[in-house]
Amino acid sequence: MSAPTHRFTPRSGARRLREAVVVALFRAATYAVLLAGGGVFADILYKGSRTVFQAEAPFINTTFLFSSPESLHVFEWEGRRREMGDREFRAFREREPGAADVRAESFVYSAGGIWPCIAGTLLLVAGAMSLALAVGVSSAVYLSEYARDGRFIRFVRLAILNLAGVPSIVFGLFGFGMFVIFFGWNVSLIAGWFTLAFMVLPVVITASEEALKAVPQGLRAAALALGATRWQTIRTAVLPYALPGILTSSILGIARVAGETAPIMFTAAYVVRDRLPWEVERAVDFLFQGVMALPYHIYVVSSKIPQNEYTERVQYGTAFVFLLLVALVAAASILLRNRLRARLRW
Amino acid sequence: MPNQTTASSPIVEISELDFCYGSVPALHGVNLSIPARQVTALIGPSGCGKSTLLRCLNRMNDLIEGARVVRGSIRIHGVDIHGPEVDVIELRKHVGMVFQKSNPFPKSIYENIAYGLRLQGVRDRARLDAVVEQSLRGAALWDEVKDRLQQSALGLSGGQQQRLCIARTIAVEPEVILMDEPCSALDPVATAKIEELIQELRSRYSIVIVTHNMQQAARCSDQTAFFYLGRLIEHAPTRDIFTSPANPQTEAYVSGRFG
Amino acid sequence: MSATGPRPTLFVRRRLRFLGLTPDDAIRAFFGGNAVVAVVVLALITYFLVREGAGFFGQNRRNLEVYRLAGLEFVDHLRAQEEAHTALTRRLSELRLKAFARLSAGTDGAEAAERALAVFDAYAERFGAAIDPLRALGSELAEVATGIKTKFMVNEDRKEERRQLIAEGKAGEAARVGVVPVDFAAEARPLLAARERHREVNRVLATELLALQAAPPAPPVPELRDLLERFGAEVRSYVAELPAIERRLETWDQAKPVAAGEALRAFLFGRQWLTASFWQDWYGLLPLLTGSLLVAGVALTLAVPLGVGAAIYVNQFASVREQRVVKPAIEFISAFPSVVLGFFGIAVLGEVLRQVSQLPWLAWVPGFPFSERLNVLTAGCLLALIAVPTIFTLAEDALNNVPRALPEASLALGASRLQTTLRIVFPAALSGIISAVLLGLGRVIGETMVVLLCAGNRIAIPDFTQGLGVMVEPVHTMTGIIAQEMGEVVRGSIHYRALFMVGLVLFLLSLAINFLAQRILRRYRLAPS
Ligand SMILES: Nc1ncnc2c1ncn2[C@@H]1O[C@H](COP(=O)(O)OP(=O)(O)OP(=O)(O)O)[C@@H](O)[C@H]1O
Ligand SMILES: [Mg+2]
Repeated sequence: MSAPTHRFTPRSGARRLREAVVVALFRAATYAVLLAGGGVFADILYKGSRTVFQAEAPFINTTFLFSSPESLHVFEWEGRRREMGDREFRAFREREPGAADVRAESFVYSAGGIWPCIAGTLLLVAGAMSLALAVGVSSAVYLSEYARDGRFIRFVRLAILNLAGVPSIVFGLFGFGMFVIFFGWNVSLIAGWFTLAFMVLPVVITASEEALKAVPQGLRAAALALGATRWQTIRTAVLPYALPGILTSSILGIARVAGETAPIMFTAAYVVRDRLPWEVERAVDFLFQGVMALPYHIYVVSSKIPQNEYTERVQYGTAFVFLLLVALVAAASILLRNRLRARLRW
Repeated sequence: MPNQTTASSPIVEISELDFCYGSVPALHGVNLSIPARQVTALIGPSGCGKSTLLRCLNRMNDLIEGARVVRGSIRIHGVDIHGPEVDVIELRKHVGMVFQKSNPFPKSIYENIAYGLRLQGVRDRARLDAVVEQSLRGAALWDEVKDRLQQSALGLSGGQQQRLCIARTIAVEPEVILMDEPCSALDPVATAKIEELIQELRSRYSIVIVTHNMQQAARCSDQTAFFYLGRLIEHAPTRDIFTSPANPQTEAYVSGRFG
Repeated sequence: MSATGPRPTLFVRRRLRFLGLTPDDAIRAFFGGNAVVAVVVLALITYFLVREGAGFFGQNRRNLEVYRLAGLEFVDHLRAQEEAHTALTRRLSELRLKAFARLSAGTDGAEAAERALAVFDAYAERFGAAIDPLRALGSELAEVATGIKTKFMVNEDRKEERRQLIAEGKAGEAARVGVVPVDFAAEARPLLAARERHREVNRVLATELLALQAAPPAPPVPELRDLLERFGAEVRSYVAELPAIERRLETWDQAKPVAAGEALRAFLFGRQWLTASFWQDWYGLLPLLTGSLLVAGVALTLAVPLGVGAAIYVNQFASVREQRVVKPAIEFISAFPSVVLGFFGIAVLGEVLRQVSQLPWLAWVPGFPFSERLNVLTAGCLLALIAVPTIFTLAEDALNNVPRALPEASLALGASRLQTTLRIVFPAALSGIISAVLLGLGRVIGETMVVLLCAGNRIAIPDFTQGLGVMVEPVHTMTGIIAQEMGEVVRGSIHYRALFMVGLVLFLLSLAINFLAQRILRRYRLAPS
């Protein structure tokens, strides 16, 4: 009772300190997460950029991006260490008479590039997303525009929620059992499409429903009062205004489709394939061919070949390209969605 | 096509109407004739069922789960609108509606007006242009917007938006126009304009308007119906309701001593 | 009555009808059909997992039957006895290691230590050699048993061949494929006959071991006396167990049928997952399940405090500007492909963690130091990074949904910001946060690539006796095993079906977790909204 006090003296210092420490801990948790994520991102971007970029023009390693994978051969020649891809090595052996029996260490997939993987991933994503959008948006239209709350609709919603929680490897097994074996599609692009599409379906439905719900009821009422049918109302007074929202949120689904490995492991992905997807004889072959894919390639090069200075380039390079693709898509989706949410306050 | 009925004959006849939201009754035994080409005002304290009745007339209540007519009928031109043969879409083309909160589509002014016709498959540009102009003139909006027809309707003021909604409604040439508190979100100047508009429209349309504003009802309606707790208490020419109401509840309400 | 009379056609329009449907009905049906897809997919997943997996139990039952008929089970009883002895021998070498470390730390160095341990070594050698007769008997019988099994397998192959030939309509060729049914009882006679020898071997073994434990070598280091004494006790109990093993062999019934439930039990509670073995394949879920749970446990231990802490900070304390940066950033992390994280674990994190574990001042941490780069901890850390965004986003939502009035009331009563958060907002959001954690758990258990690449892929139930140190052991997981082995198995084989059964377990587990999360969310929601 010594210091002169008035009614609003601050609380005791110790208590305030304790509070500050606790809040600081919460804050530390937040930044620890960001730091960890940022660390992984930076490490891969930094080490991968050495593969993907180069010092001289065009500054981008076009060989890596636009050619097929090859084995890398490392050997001593005339006192120097040489590294060559498959084709170059063969040519070299023919050119140099003494080189025929040179002992080279070989590392698969470590030379050349990843073009077939990039192409395969783009194809997989495009097809799967088209399917998922078609089914998902229709499904959301039904749930938000037609359905009346009832037992059945609750059941459907429950199914959607549960579908979202099914592990991706289970989708892989399912796709394998249904499309690859039962339908006899074998390991193919189309089996991958369906498997991935079913996997992102809940994401697309949820996103689309959110976007549809954001369209004010007044517009629907206005259209109906003017004598529009249900479908005309949806087509002219709901969907056009929900579409931007549907698309931006669904981009996040793209990131998910592109990022998953497990579902395509046994349904669509080949370890290696020497032809590009569009080099097919008949059009149907296009659907029924397996493809290489970036995520699967990363898995292959990081688990099936040794880690060393020669293999590191392709490992980090592939991870870089893949991470960057997915990250760009995700970032675009997040930014667009936040902008849209801010704008669409009707 | 409209206005074939004589001015005094009823266009809408409501008889013994009971209406429920799920198990909650909202209207009891309402009997009401709405004369053609006049303005009928529905008044009453909040929650007494005015909007419900209004929304029954073009079956907008169909959209609400569990909402249904329990008893009685609504006839328009003698046709029971809940009959099995009746197509609700056709009904709504004949019975237009203007909402409390103006709800223009986020499209151009022109497209807003043309919307109803486009729904009916009208593509003819000249006809659309003509109807747009005619409707906007009809809604006393033409002079204000004729230079900006292609701009977004969301750029209009609140009062203009509401008149746009009226124009949009009359573009499909309904016989009946339902208005649910069309002025409640507007300032007095905009309100005055809408009231003026209603006066002009009454010669061609049968108008049913819900309002909480006694002066408004007195100023611009020919008939007034007073509702209380889901029942029609009194229905008479507006002058009579406001000067010599038959029912004490009506008197209490219109004189502002109640609810 | 209206002046013009009723005009019943006024609001009627003839609509196009097809199969009794108007176009609007058809469109509605189309959308409804799409809405049902989610249900259909869920049903199809169940159906195909069961379709491909269900045959497992029949096949596994057969597998276990053969295990018994061919006498492998009989031999495994012997082997168990042998292995128990080996464990004792290993105990001796551990003792030696300790003694050696102690002795060589003294003034005389390693050579003197070797000399001092000479007596002990001789003892250990004698102890180890005591099992040789049993081992010889074991491998002799093992040969008999594998012989029977091989015969049986060859026969099965022939049958299959014949069936195919018949199916192709080549009855003549089929008849030429000889199938001689294996007479298991006759074939197993040498096994049963060996029981007499086994008793003899055991008698000698018991005498030898008891003699050995009665005269232990003088402990080279005094501290080891206790340990040696305990060793003696273990030897005595080992010898005491021998009659039980003999009895087991005595009562072993080759013809005892394998119950249907046993095939299920062997899957759900089997402690071994052993495939493509020349002896006997086991499809036990436990090693995989414990692996999955262990990794998930480590991941959640890290992710829950981080995710929930971050959610509390961002929702309750961060400035609007900070929120606007942090929320999208964490959401962004959720888009990291798991295979990239797995690669990061192999390339960087595993090594970093190993080196950290070898820092001398961290030796107190259970399990540290460790030498395996890829283990539960490595995978757990990366999975935590996957779980955090899920937990964060959902927990933040839950905090956000707490009605404004609650914290305001608390603040108005003079509570501090933190008090309000911890006592009002947090409890109010608790059900949402718990369900967020559960959904995080679901993600972690279902995650494949990270565990496949970083968990070490050793198929064994981790050794829980070392307490928390178990978290640096390499393990295998349910998701990992499917991803790893699915590509290599023969369609329709028991191994293939076993993988589908693992998938089914995973599927049911994820459904259960999801269901629980929703239950909690619904049951304890604050206000019905
Ligand atoms: N969608 C609905 N579901 C259930 N009950 C409803 C619904 N809409 C209205 N009601 C109930 O029906 C009764 C009549 O409502 P109505 O909207 O017709 O009143 P109102 O006279 O228009 O009131 P106000 O002047 O406030 O607009 C009220 O008791 C209301 O609670
Ligand atoms: Mg109302």
